[in-house]
Amino acid sequence: MESESFSHHISRRFNAELEHLRSEVLRMGGLVEQHLDTAVEAIISGDSDLGLRVSNDDHKINRLEVDIDEECRKLLATRMPAAADLRLIVMVIKTITDLERVGDEAAKIGYLASHLATDRERYASYSELKALGEHVQEMLHDALDAFSRMDVDDALAVIEEDKLVDEEYDQITRQCISLMMEDSRTIRRFMDVSWVARALERIGDHAKNIAEYVVYLVHGRDIRHTEREVVLQELEAAKGDRSASS
Amino acid sequence: MPKVWTWTLIRYGGALAGGAFIGFLYDHSLLGILLVALGLLFWQLYNLYRLERWLAAGRIAEVPDGDGVWPPVFAKIQFIKGKAKRRGKRFRKLLKDLRASTEAFPDGGVILNSNHEIVNYNQAARVLLGLKNRRDRGQRIENLLRYPDFIDYLNSPGDRQAVDIPSPVGPDTWLSCRLIPYGPEQTLLLIRDVSQRVKIERVRRDFVANASHELRSPLTVIMGYLDALAEDGRIPEAWQPPIRVMQDQSVRMRRLVEDLLQLSKLESGQSVPRDRVVDVAAILSTARKEAFALPEHPDAIEIELDSPANLLGEETELQSVVSNLVSNAVRYTPPEGEVTIRWSVDADGGHLEVRDTGIGISEEDISRVTERFYRADGGRARQRGGTGLGLAIVKHALRRHDADLEIRSRLGQGSSFVCHFPRDRLALS
Repeated sequence: MESESFSHHISRRFNAELEHLRSEVLRMGGLVEQHLDTAVEAIISGDSDLGLRVSNDDHKINRLEVDIDEECRKLLATRMPAAADLRLIVMVIKTITDLERVGDEAAKIGYLASHLATDRERYASYSELKALGEHVQEMLHDALDAFSRMDVDDALAVIEEDKLVDEEYDQITRQCISLMMEDSRTIRRFMDVSWVARALERIGDHAKNIAEYVVYLVHGRDIRHTEREVVLQELEAAKGDRSASS
Repeated sequence: MPKVWTWTLIRYGGALAGGAFIGFLYDHSLLGILLVALGLLFWQLYNLYRLERWLAAGRIAEVPDGDGVWPPVFAKIQFIKGKAKRRGKRFRKLLKDLRASTEAFPDGGVILNSNHEIVNYNQAARVLLGLKNRRDRGQRIENLLRYPDFIDYLNSPGDRQAVDIPSPVGPDTWLSCRLIPYGPEQTLLLIRDVSQRVKIERVRRDFVANASHELRSPLTVIMGYLDALAEDGRIPEAWQPPIRVMQDQSVRMRRLVEDLLQLSKLESGQSVPRDRVVDVAAILSTARKEAFALPEHPDAIEIELDSPANLLGEETELQSVVSNLVSNAVRYTPPEGEVTIRWSVDADGGHLEVRDTGIGISEEDISRVTERFYRADGGRARQRGGTGLGLAIVKHALRRHDADLEIRSRLGQGSSFVCHFPRDRLALS
């Protein structure tokens, strides 16, 4: 009787620790989202102070990554988790790496924004950058939402979105190339612009990764580098298995 | 005792006595009593059984009849049941009305438990926060509203009244979130769409910043030519005084433009990072030097440095806090008066006090002197060269350093301006 209540107590504390871990990851996600928002805002409004603030604040994200990493290692060592718990911790370790990279890219965008802001001439394709930026922001937001809700459908939607982002990125690159060929004096500026677009596209990829980890977390299937149709089939099969066994 | 009970007691007593008498005839009076008592016991059991059946059958079953004490018991239960039913109906209707009214509420409301988990929410909250039906109950609110400012507010709601965050649903939408604790464990999160207000504020701030920025360049040109004119020997002597007045006025205007620009920057209200150490002694002595450079100043401007502690924050902003306070004090203090700048640290944090023996501020003005362009005494301050923005700048710069401004003053007896810095803003070496 006593040992049972003791083990119950342990698992409850373990649950609380896992829940805390989840919240910490989402807190880090919130911070990264804010940095991305500010970086995109800095590009659009041409505010160099805003841009520099993002690139100077990157250390906060890095510190959170280190803290969460440490917490994961502690949980692995002391609790020796299995199955879904283990998947959550593995997923968290991967997610924070991606989030940290997003932070780096946001810092890069902030730095480039402060560069571009000193350029007096406004550039028409900022509106395309804005569209791309908003698209990527939404992807990251939805990926984190899918994680907090453990929602596979939302996660799959994010993975689909990545294709559109890649297309938008290609368009901006093409536009930059043609503008650079027109007037070679603008090469420097458009190099910066295409770097920003590149960074945003990378952030889209990281958001996609996070969405893939969510599918892995819920279904235990690794769907990276797999065609969408195959993924959907596999998920259907997994659903069938589960309902047959229950 | 009600009559029915008396009668029942008498009847049962009679039955027992009858049993005893019949038993006595057969020489077994105890057995007679026992048999009658058993009979009565089974009769009660039977009635109890009928009561239980009737209750179990719910409201359709007819009230059972019986005798003795049972009919009144049945009737009372019937009455209580009816009352409970009516009350339940009333409560259901009340609940429905209440729910309908919270649904109709234009502001979003989310009920959180002590773990910040979502217990319930209304229609407006669902739309504003993009919550998903049913599934988000039990989810921790900070997992969905991840904005760092909001999480800070959630973890220490005492610090602020409310917090503005961008909506998780769409761009350009801002939400004001307010936490109202109620009951032992629960908190109500009120959410209001403030996009319009935030937009207007931003437009105003941008306008002031842009306008003052644009005013600066023509002003520089004017001042340059005025300087050249003042030094040009060919200008008739009669024109010298007007040129000097123009120079003074353009200096004043430049200061005004600079103050406006600074204020619009400070107004964005974000807390200044704590990673840089600001030398308090240095900014105090700079402020003192600036004060001595003013055309009229009291002879005594003293610095009392009671603590070696320094501050964490932005040096230019803290310098402008001290300089503004000191130049204010100097401006309103006669030459024979005294201005004291004091820096001290105690358990509550750091205190920076600027005290003067000047004209003082009346009680009704104290609450308003930090408003921009507010003049305690009409024209007099303008003659003394202030822009009317100094204390507004002080207030906003202090807010960015999590500090408060306390003003103590009596008319004719001088004033004291104290900035209270929290302990985590101090660099104790």
